[in-house]
Amino acid sequence: MTPLFALLFNTLDERLGLRRPGRKAANKVFPHHWSFLLGEVALFSLIVLIATGVFLTLFYRPSIEMVDYSGSNPLYEGARVPAAFASILRLSEEVPGGLLMRRIHRGASHLFIAATVLHMLRILLTGAFRKPREPNYHIGLLLLALVLAEGFVGYSLPYDSLAGTGIRIAYSELLSFPLIGDRLAFWVFGGLFPTGDVIPRFFVFHVLLIPGLIIAVVSIHLLLVVRQRHTQFPHPGVDGHHLIVGKPLWPWQFSESATLILWVSGLLSAAAVLIPWSDVTLLGPYVPGRVGNQAQPDWFLFWVEGMLRILPPIEIDLPGVTVSGPFIAGVLLPGLIFGALIAYPFIERKVYNLQGEWHVLSNPLEIPLRAAMAIGTFSFVLIVSAAATNDVLSRLVGVPIETVTGFFRLTAVFVPPLLAALLHRYSTRRLARTGLRVAPTEAEADSRFQEPVVTLSAE
Amino acid sequence: MTPDTREPTQSPAESLQIIAKRVPPPSQVNDALVIGTGVASAVCALGFAITLLLRTPVAVHGTLLALSMLLFAIATRRYFVDRYPDVEAVEPRHVNDDPGGAHADIAEIEPIERRPLLTRVLIACAAILGLGFLAPVSSLGPAPGNQLRVTAWRRGRRVVTSEGRPVRPGDIAPGGVVTAWPEGAIDVENSAIIVLRLTTQPQPPTNLAWVVDSRVVAYSKVCTHAGCPVALYRERDNALFCPCHQSTFDVNRGAVPTFGPAARALPQLPLGVSDSGELMALSDFTAQVGPAFG
Repeated sequence: MTPLFALLFNTLDERLGLRRPGRKAANKVFPHHWSFLLGEVALFSLIVLIATGVFLTLFYRPSIEMVDYSGSNPLYEGARVPAAFASILRLSEEVPGGLLMRRIHRGASHLFIAATVLHMLRILLTGAFRKPREPNYHIGLLLLALVLAEGFVGYSLPYDSLAGTGIRIAYSELLSFPLIGDRLAFWVFGGLFPTGDVIPRFFVFHVLLIPGLIIAVVSIHLLLVVRQRHTQFPHPGVDGHHLIVGKPLWPWQFSESATLILWVSGLLSAAAVLIPWSDVTLLGPYVPGRVGNQAQPDWFLFWVEGMLRILPPIEIDLPGVTVSGPFIAGVLLPGLIFGALIAYPFIERKVYNLQGEWHVLSNPLEIPLRAAMAIGTFSFVLIVSAAATNDVLSRLVGVPIETVTGFFRLTAVFVPPLLAALLHRYSTRRLARTGLRVAPTEAEADSRFQEPVVTLSAE
Repeated sequence: MTPDTREPTQSPAESLQIIAKRVPPPSQVNDALVIGTGVASAVCALGFAITLLLRTPVAVHGTLLALSMLLFAIATRRYFVDRYPDVEAVEPRHVNDDPGGAHADIAEIEPIERRPLLTRVLIACAAILGLGFLAPVSSLGPAPGNQLRVTAWRRGRRVVTSEGRPVRPGDIAPGGVVTAWPEGAIDVENSAIIVLRLTTQPQPPTNLAWVVDSRVVAYSKVCTHAGCPVALYRERDNALFCPCHQSTFDVNRGAVPTFGPAARALPQLPLGVSDSGELMALSDFTAQVGPAFG
């Protein structure tokens, strides 16, 4: 430590008692595996999002009032456009660095969501959700829902023609709730679509409400990781149930995280140069009653969009209640998928009669139910996501849209159960071939990795 | 300043248990790499600041920003690799699965045994108090009332284009389509209509009394599935097509859905001609416009 830094540290340490907790933190051991970095990538994307988002907030105008465009873009010379759209044009074309900030923000949002999803897949496949970590797994699922909502609301704010169409569909989704739909839509939007309230409210959701929740929930998520310690992959020769093997926070995890945040932000800046995402100039502002061909949401909502597209026409009128396709495809089925993810840790524990705590990660092929559930759920999500491009595919391949949609209907219904059954059979036989069963305790699972050499020294 | 006299107690749990350690050999290549990438990163960062102030295109200042961070990432990594021995350590974790074990109550002060009624009353009152706080939610939007069931169309209201020009039946060529609005309610989303001159005779369930010139019909432009504008007209099979979820409606037969997720026909506007020969509504729609609700 340099003398000045040492003086500052000592001064604070005498008053706050930093040395012991500091030492404890510096010695905290982090297991080493590339897949453990996915959560960190999500966290660093969030930091980039907050930094760029604050800058954007200073210029964005949350209003759909029509204003005379006075900027330099010849496309809109003399046009009347919504104030929100005009402020986006100004940010992109008149504010130095504004376009860079917008593109980095957009790119970081894609990376944030992608890393969150991959991180969840890692947790799910390796069994990091098992006791005692179910609460943190559920908190993670809550984060995923918040992140998807935040992404959708952010996509809406420029109020370009795609954004407006997306907002209209969201309004219809709220309307579709049985019994309370009309009330719900009027509460969220402040009246009949499109009200002047929708963009100001979405702005508050996007920059205050949802990010506040995300930051709070991420903090709890991380505190629980610290409190419960990391899971880790089996380490031959180490009693992983009682010991964590890895590198200490100082200097190695610190060096790795510092490098990673630089890579993440550096690559996001490079992507902002190479990919013109977030450019809405050519899309034009939203005008009621008009929409272009190929109206699609961002990729992370393709799964919901795909279900909306391929669900056959359903509208069940009961006395006083209507259950419609948009409710089933946009609310019920996504709810069921989230429900399955929420319930899964308890199902696995019950089915295999698992005992005690689990700190060592496992290969999903050694737990047939987990392998089947993961491939069933995620093949379904991928197939219906692909179905959200049925119009593009139809045009590319030259097959009528009816045929493409029919293909996706059949695939979405039959392929996931088939894959799940096949993988279940494969992993069951794989277990039987090695003469093993699904281990009910971590001691039994761990014993398959030779006798522990490093054991717990007296605490 | 007096030195810290507290005893530096070190339980085994607080010190790092190292199981493997490797000291990196000194390397001039590494030194050069740290200095080279570090200086290059600083130069790029300065370049970023200058080119941003000079209002260069995003490709210039964006590239410099990216390079400054990526180079600094390499410098940071190589710095640590040179400075510290590579170690692998173990740390004990607290495992909670020892069976049994008595759990102490959280609260040490026990309540006095009294009537349980008071507790129940208090909890019930707290619940009601909480529900009361929800009242402001109802201020977030007006009561829907009839708003979702009516549009701006009234008897005698003229059909106008997005520019406000009244539409005459003769304005629309065979196979032509026009997006139109009630006069005075342009861009009122749920009142958008699409007026078409069909190339063949419309069939039931089209309401033939609402067809002008025996070929000109008007349908709501709001999809009955999720509310997108049914914006595309496909002349080869007389279909209106929604670009959002591909619902397809047969305009020759009362715009009944023929494909896609929509379950209801696009409502047909009761269409007539005013004394001055312009298209007008005979009344509001008689069927529910837009997606289902509640």
